[in-house]
Amino acid sequence: MAVKLLTELKPGEKGRIVKIGGTGSIHQRLLDMGLVSGSEVEMQRVAPLGDPIEIRVKGYNLSLRKEEAASIQVEVT
Amino acid sequence: MSREEILQTKDKIITHLRGILGDDAETIIAERRYGFISGLLKDVLKKPPIERLTLSDNIDKVVVNRWLGIPLFLALLYGVFQFVFTLSGPFMDWIDQFFGWLGGYASGVSPDWLGSLLADGIIGGLGSVLIFIPPIFLLFIAIAVLEDCGYMARGAFVMDRIMHKVGLHGRSFIPMILGFGCNIPGIMACRTIENPKDRLTTILINPFMSCGARLPIFVLLAAAFFTANQGLVVFSMYIIGIIVAIFMALVLRKSILKGPSGHFVMELPPYRLPTVTGVLVHMWERGSLFLRKAGTIIFGVVVLVWLLSSLPWGVEYASAESWIGQIGSFIAPVFAPCGFGQWQAAVSLLFGFLAKEVVVGTMGAIFAVEEGILGGAIAAQLGWTPLIAFAFMVFCLLYAPCVAAIGVIRGETNSWKWAGFAALYTTVVAWIAATLIFQVGRLFVG
Repeated sequence: MAVKLLTELKPGEKGRIVKIGGTGSIHQRLLDMGLVSGSEVEMQRVAPLGDPIEIRVKGYNLSLRKEEAASIQVEVT
Repeated sequence: MSREEILQTKDKIITHLRGILGDDAETIIAERRYGFISGLLKDVLKKPPIERLTLSDNIDKVVVNRWLGIPLFLALLYGVFQFVFTLSGPFMDWIDQFFGWLGGYASGVSPDWLGSLLADGIIGGLGSVLIFIPPIFLLFIAIAVLEDCGYMARGAFVMDRIMHKVGLHGRSFIPMILGFGCNIPGIMACRTIENPKDRLTTILINPFMSCGARLPIFVLLAAAFFTANQGLVVFSMYIIGIIVAIFMALVLRKSILKGPSGHFVMELPPYRLPTVTGVLVHMWERGSLFLRKAGTIIFGVVVLVWLLSSLPWGVEYASAESWIGQIGSFIAPVFAPCGFGQWQAAVSLLFGFLAKEVVVGTMGAIFAVEEGILGGAIAAQLGWTPLIAFAFMVFCLLYAPCVAAIGVIRGETNSWKWAGFAALYTTVVAWIAATLIFQVGRLFVG
């Protein structure tokens, strides 16, 4: 299974979170929003100007900047 | 155990647990919590709620589409703008006429000073503030609809890239655009920004967005001094305002409001149909704050300005001999480097602090001419050139926002310090800009 950064997924591609990096409040925030290892994520789309991105996780849609998503590793499924 | 021993034991346990579990406590707790939730859901939830999400997905395919996202955002904004200012126009005229009638009636009251206090001070002053009620309430209705239906988060999603570049947040864009109508709802709309520094920066730059009250000044002077390029000159004011706002956002974010920008990890909620009650409650919650402010802070300042304009006893209201006229004469030299060092200009700028459109009215009162020929009178009596008029317009664009806006900044930041700072730094920026324009321009056009 290929491990990629969350930002590398193409719209429609799905994956399972392997690791959440980052520190401090942003790390905590990602966990709070349901981005924990094992969670299924699906890349939805990239904003018109190329940043932020929108993903589907735990049945809802979440937006985050690429710099925030770059600490998340996913296993492509 | 001593304090040190307890801390050491704590660290030892943390390292031990991390060694066994392979991750830090926050992560483990979050994973276990979500593990428990999904286990529980498997037991009790029969049908996953996905139907509404698919409808939302289809809407989003268009609304935040790569090509349509930004045009649609701008079109919606334009729609809100049109809705607010077209619909509020007639109401504003009625309020204007009502206070005009009331003022005319009250000025007949004797003794004369009481009539003047009622007509020029209280009724005129309150009228100039209460006239903003229709656009403010309509704007809050429009914002409430956009928020309740779920579009607001999409707007921020679309604009975040640009705003993040200048040190702001995707949510800063809407307040800036609203400022074109009136800075008060613009400043109030900053409440949607969570990060305190992003929010404060967005509040502090909002006055540079050219509000509707400044338009009469621009139109009057552009018609008098720039006959051939009126539209272009007025439009350039809006552009200068935007450039200064973005520049000051960068400066503030790199100096006194230094610090990381707020994150953008937020839900894009499914679209929902807003309810009438929900929208009206939101409108009232925000709008009533403006009303309360108009009743207290603004009212006090209105009476103070009337006093300054009427004292010492017996002078003509707002003439050169009145206290405000004397203050105007006193501070006028400050504006000499900007090109407009006459007391008439200084006095109208002082009154403009009450409400910017009053600048025109004050000039009219001082020169005792109708608005139609006022531009010509200014050119003839003050000897202004187009360059001076342009510098004056830029000063009017940038200097301290009106009393009502300052009051709202005080309310929204809960600090007189920031309200005072907003009034001061904008005036300094205005003075520098006007001086630069006049001094550099003079080298080219004599």
